[in-house]
Amino acid sequence: MTTATTHPVAVEEVTAYLDGEVTSAEARRVEEHLAECAECALTRDQLRATSAAMASWSVPAAPAGLDAAIGQRVSGAVPQQKSVKPVRMGRRRPWVLVGGGAMAAVAAIVVIGAVLSYSTSYQRSAAPEPMMAPAPAGAEQGSTGQPAPQAEGIVGGAAPEPAPTPEQGAATSGAAASAAATGPMIARTASLTIVVKNITDSRAALDRILKQYQGYAAQLTVSTAADSSPSLQASLRVPVSDLPAALSALRALGQVQNETQGGEDVTQQHTDLMARLNNARETEKVLQSILQKQAGKMDDVLAVEEQISQTRGQIEQMEADQQALEHRVAFASIDVQLTEEYKAQLTGSSTPVGTRLRNSFVTGIGNAGSSLLGLVVFVEEAGPVLLIWALILGLPVVLVVRRYRKARTRV
Amino acid sequence: MRENEGRQDSQGQETDEQLMAAFARGSTDAFNTLFVRYKQPLFGFFWRRIADRSQAEELTQETFLALFKAQGRYEATALFRTYLYAIAMKILRTYRRKATFRAMFWGAPSQDKEPAARMEIDAEIALREAVGKLDRVAREILMLREYEELSYVEIAALLRIPVNTVRSRLFRARMALREMLAAPAAGAGQREFSKMEGRA
Repeated sequence: MTTATTHPVAVEEVTAYLDGEVTSAEARRVEEHLAECAECALTRDQLRATSAAMASWSVPAAPAGLDAAIGQRVSGAVPQQKSVKPVRMGRRRPWVLVGGGAMAAVAAIVVIGAVLSYSTSYQRSAAPEPMMAPAPAGAEQGSTGQPAPQAEGIVGGAAPEPAPTPEQGAATSGAAASAAATGPMIARTASLTIVVKNITDSRAALDRILKQYQGYAAQLTVSTAADSSPSLQASLRVPVSDLPAALSALRALGQVQNETQGGEDVTQQHTDLMARLNNARETEKVLQSILQKQAGKMDDVLAVEEQISQTRGQIEQMEADQQALEHRVAFASIDVQLTEEYKAQLTGSSTPVGTRLRNSFVTGIGNAGSSLLGLVVFVEEAGPVLLIWALILGLPVVLVVRRYRKARTRV
Repeated sequence: MRENEGRQDSQGQETDEQLMAAFARGSTDAFNTLFVRYKQPLFGFFWRRIADRSQAEELTQETFLALFKAQGRYEATALFRTYLYAIAMKILRTYRRKATFRAMFWGAPSQDKEPAARMEIDAEIALREAVGKLDRVAREILMLREYEELSYVEIAALLRIPVNTVRSRLFRARMALREMLAAPAAGAGQREFSKMEGRA
């Protein structure tokens, strides 16, 4: 900077002066200095000489075909509103940034995804806690809920025992027999989903309906979970003749959300069963007569008795099947699901705020710890593989970049 | 030879900016006039920067085509010349990028496809080589000043660098070039650079 103090005019100003890039006052100052400073005058001459030398780089005349070519291209072009942005010199290469950014983003997503999935799988395998899956209320007997579900098993409306009274049995049997004689035997089923106002009232109403139509509940579950509406699920049986009336009464309990009805034709099944039963009875009679008439060897007698015993067992089994089948026909099955309208309750949490904060803090620490552990385990296990791949993929990239740089200097 | 005959507003002719405004309103005659004024400067611009004559011609065409397409976008706030060279620079840059990419796989293009057509003299070859040795930005500043005759402000706007940087780098580039032309040994330019750094 010592020279700067001796020269009142900077060399850049001499350049600017030659290029006509100074004000008239500056130009006068530069001219005065150049007149008295030999060194700066020499610089001026050198700069001039350089510019003159550069002028020797001549350019041939633009090709004659240029006019025609541009005319042709312009005539086919449509002017558009796309702006042409100024050019940026220097080191920025947007396409490199965009491409590199995209690759980095993809790599980051892959790594994060791998770490997360690994972390969760590690957590799962490390702490196999039982899943507290909240079962739908009243879905099963013994379903969850804070108060134990009042699974009452078989609750009778009219009779606690599903077996019909002898008269009823005779009546239904007769009905079934008559049905078998007159027409097809259909086992009727129905299912109802109803939203009720109050589950307790509805349950009482349900009991009344069962009593009225001489039906019974084969199964009944009441669920009163704390965080959901109380619900009741029951499987009812009512005499088939009363099915429409019973359904109407049930529908009146609340708002029906879903109703389905169905019927299974069991005529063929019943006829087969009856035929086999008759055959077995005939066989039993024959065996009985054999036993009475023939007093032969002891072994033969025992064999016949054994046969009679087997046949008797078959007959009793088939009679039970027959009764069950006829019962299915005589009594329609209704699956009812009652759900109370959901009423949100403003109940203060049973856990104090301090405890909750502490619990969540502990959970957070635990999560952070397991995440960190998962990351460490991931790095340990996947690190070597990633390293190998980085080497495999990195080497060509380095080569390509080197080649690119070399090519850049040539162009 | 200075082939930049762009601005001729002192002789009663319409300025470039007026012509461009007329072209924006739909006058193809205005475009033709601009084309006649700038075809040689633009061809020179490309010819000096890339080796291939046919490519220089092609890029000149592309620049005029881009100008034509951007008809409605020109704003009178910028000098037309700056605007046109900005387009040319962008097209040149795109070409260089593609050429670099191609060269990476197919090797560098031949520098002299038509040596006879060039009729180069020794001084010209020396000059080209010397200019080629300059730093990329310095070379661009020097060429825009010497051949395109752009003002410092225009160069600064085009390259997005401060005007003072244009001034100082232009001076250093000229002196480095002088040194290289005087003694075209390797490294001469660098010595000149450091010498000038000390004085500045």
